[in-house]
Amino acid sequence: MTTKQMKGFEDSYVVEGKMALPYTYFAGSVGSKFITTIRDEKKIMGVKCPTCNVVYLPPRQVCDKDFTDIRDNWVDVGTSGMVTNFTVVRYDDKHLPRKAPFVLALIKLDGADTPFMHILEECKLEDVKIGMKVEAVFAKETTNTILDIDHFKPVAERASIHERNAGRKKWVADAEPAIQGKQKGGKPDMSKPVIIAAALTGAATMRNQNPSVPYTPAEFATEAYKCWKAGAAMVHVHAREDNGMPTHDHERIRATYNAIKDKCPELIVNLSSAVGMGKTTEQRISQIIAVKPDMASLNTNTMNFSIVDRKTGKIFIEYVFENTFTMLQEFGKAMEENGVKPEIECYDMGGLDNTLLIAKQGFFSSPMNFNFVWGVAGGQSFRADSFIAMMNALPANANFTTCGVGPEEFPCIMQSCLLGGHMRVGLEDNIKMPNGELAKGSYELVEVAVNIADSLGRAVATTDEAREIMGVRKK
Amino acid sequence: MDRAAIIGVGMTKIEKSKVRDTFADMAWEAVNKALADAGMTIDDIDNVVTTSSDFWDGRTISCMAVGDASGAAHKNVTCVEGDGTYGAFYGMTRSLSGSYKTTLVTGHSKGSQSISSLITNSAFDPIYERSLGMDMVTACAMQARSYMHRTKTTPEQMALVSVKNHGNAMKNPLAQLPMNITVNDVLKSEMIADPLHKLDCSPVSDGCAAVIIAHESVATKFKQKPVWIKGVSFCADSFFFGDRDLSRVKSLTEAAKKAYAMAGIKDPKKEIDVAEIYDAFSYQELMWLEEMGLADDATAGKLLEKGDFNIEGRLPVNASGGLLSGHPVIAAGLYSMAAVVKQIRGDAGGFQVKKAKTGLVQGLNGLGGQSHCVWILDQEK
Repeated sequence: MTTKQMKGFEDSYVVEGKMALPYTYFAGSVGSKFITTIRDEKKIMGVKCPTCNVVYLPPRQVCDKDFTDIRDNWVDVGTSGMVTNFTVVRYDDKHLPRKAPFVLALIKLDGADTPFMHILEECKLEDVKIGMKVEAVFAKETTNTILDIDHFKPVAERASIHERNAGRKKWVADAEPAIQGKQKGGKPDMSKPVIIAAALTGAATMRNQNPSVPYTPAEFATEAYKCWKAGAAMVHVHAREDNGMPTHDHERIRATYNAIKDKCPELIVNLSSAVGMGKTTEQRISQIIAVKPDMASLNTNTMNFSIVDRKTGKIFIEYVFENTFTMLQEFGKAMEENGVKPEIECYDMGGLDNTLLIAKQGFFSSPMNFNFVWGVAGGQSFRADSFIAMMNALPANANFTTCGVGPEEFPCIMQSCLLGGHMRVGLEDNIKMPNGELAKGSYELVEVAVNIADSLGRAVATTDEAREIMGVRKK
Repeated sequence: MDRAAIIGVGMTKIEKSKVRDTFADMAWEAVNKALADAGMTIDDIDNVVTTSSDFWDGRTISCMAVGDASGAAHKNVTCVEGDGTYGAFYGMTRSLSGSYKTTLVTGHSKGSQSISSLITNSAFDPIYERSLGMDMVTACAMQARSYMHRTKTTPEQMALVSVKNHGNAMKNPLAQLPMNITVNDVLKSEMIADPLHKLDCSPVSDGCAAVIIAHESVATKFKQKPVWIKGVSFCADSFFFGDRDLSRVKSLTEAAKKAYAMAGIKDPKKEIDVAEIYDAFSYQELMWLEEMGLADDATAGKLLEKGDFNIEGRLPVNASGGLLSGHPVIAAGLYSMAAVVKQIRGDAGGFQVKKAKTGLVQGLNGLGGQSHCVWILDQEK
């Protein structure tokens, strides 16, 4: 202790002292496990109250809402979360872990219900916001304290596909026409942006399977818009009645088509010329001629198209999907004559060969666009070598995309993207995410496709680029 | 139930630094003023409750250190750690217990002698929070943000609380910071912890206050007009910050409801004439008013702009200048209580409000108002 005279108070002096008392704070079993788990496993653990289901962070012994003993009910709450509150500390003091200015924040980790405090760094003070996503950065050296999490930092939010596309050079076709051989010999042409299509409904996927299946024109418009936002350049549509039944009604189909175009004018809309089971030839093609969409599906062979139990092999619904040579020819001609670009659906190599035969008549405009469909009960299952065989059988300048039923969706689009082809996803083909959870909508499956393109370094095609690549009329 | 009344109050002037005064000096001054106010001698006091905090006092067992200067020698003396309103609560229960008739309650602190942020930092959990550097200012800054976020209260409205209260302090000779300032002055003052500017925060202060609480059987025995305790309640919320919705103060709503019920108050907006509430930070006055039902949700800022809480307004709030104009922690709630007692007696001098039959006092304890203590005082028994 030291004494000092107070300025201006000659009759008073002060004694300079300190309250510094050593103290041992036991962390208890809960606090100890919390800290050691951070230190040893880089995991942040909370405790869940079995009575009220609240996951507490920091962990504690007792739920203060219902007085339940919760000390052993550990849950991993993850290492990323959201800022729920913060302040910028603008003063320096002994108790502060950083020089001012720095940010202290309340952070709600994804698996916890209560936010906890920590330091937020690696971002500008003015960029800190309630709701921003952050993740833990663990300390290099342990102190056996809460500072074994050194701080939290913002999770870089990926720019949207549209922002990213605006920031790159637009793709233009080579002056020299692409040669078929470019896609041969194990050297896929990945220079073209990849076109992502979202098949929003199909004829058979119903709302009891996935509540995001659109039925009304307005629902189609909303779903299509979400898919476009996520990176799709095209949607494939089977219009539905309000009760979910596939329809060949021109007015309903036109209303659906227009609703999508009104909401998202640049998106390519591809209508089905299959429509649904039991539709007549006339019902199937007249609506295409009436509505004249950007693109329409063109099916290439008569085949079984059944619903079977894939585990037991038992047949639920038996159906022959009729696509005679005449239909292939007449539908194809009708489409070309009406400025509708056919998307040629090949369920196996036979369908492809049928098309190549008919194509000798010369009415198909170049480039031809093929879709390899996998996993239909009656068509072929996805096999990597079959895919390559089909790709190698394509005419020069042809484009190919692919889609697969159920879990075949992901491997087939990945292979297509890898080989320079395009990708189709959506609730028509598959209702689940790769982890088996229901997709929140076709847009979530589009996000998966965007991730595949990203991981292969392929740009995602804008709608303009997609039109140019596929030879679809300008919007 | 038996009734109790406040029959004497005494306070030192609140100052930035009482260099010449020890804690005992301050207690001596405040206790003698309270005794004189009540018309009592120390022999008329049956027992003493001191309110203190070891770390603010810079000594352990701090409750024992001002007993002598409070006239507690050979009396039953006890201590409450926390705000003075909690000490007064205990004092009141003692006066109502049947064992004592008169209780002297004191509260003292000298912020000038310590570093408040180090003390409030040590209030945080030592395992999970303390080393991150949280303290009262950063805690309240977060609370301010969540309150503003939810209610759309503006920085200008918060600043206006500071303008009003510093202006009121010009009429209170005991206030530390009487100031004639503008909203712009507040907004231009140094940012301490976003969104709190320096003038949104109360100052570091020294001071001591004393109140004397008597059982109804002796409340009118002395010269001072008794001010009756009609209702009182306190209530606490969760300790961990993340467990609470910081934009709300359930514990205050609960405490106020119970105090109103006890006092027979049905419509607090109409029945409360004057209030001294815990404005350690500007936003708190608005937030506490709403949570106590003295303003509708998310409207206090607008009502303040309309002048409702001015000395001449519908409900004068912190007419004394409040804690923004002088904030001796621990003693603070007793200063507020004494200010309302004086209003009800008509003794408030320059900051006297027109109608002051029923008054409300609010004290708090803990980080960001974890616990709240609400009193309803009245001219009539």
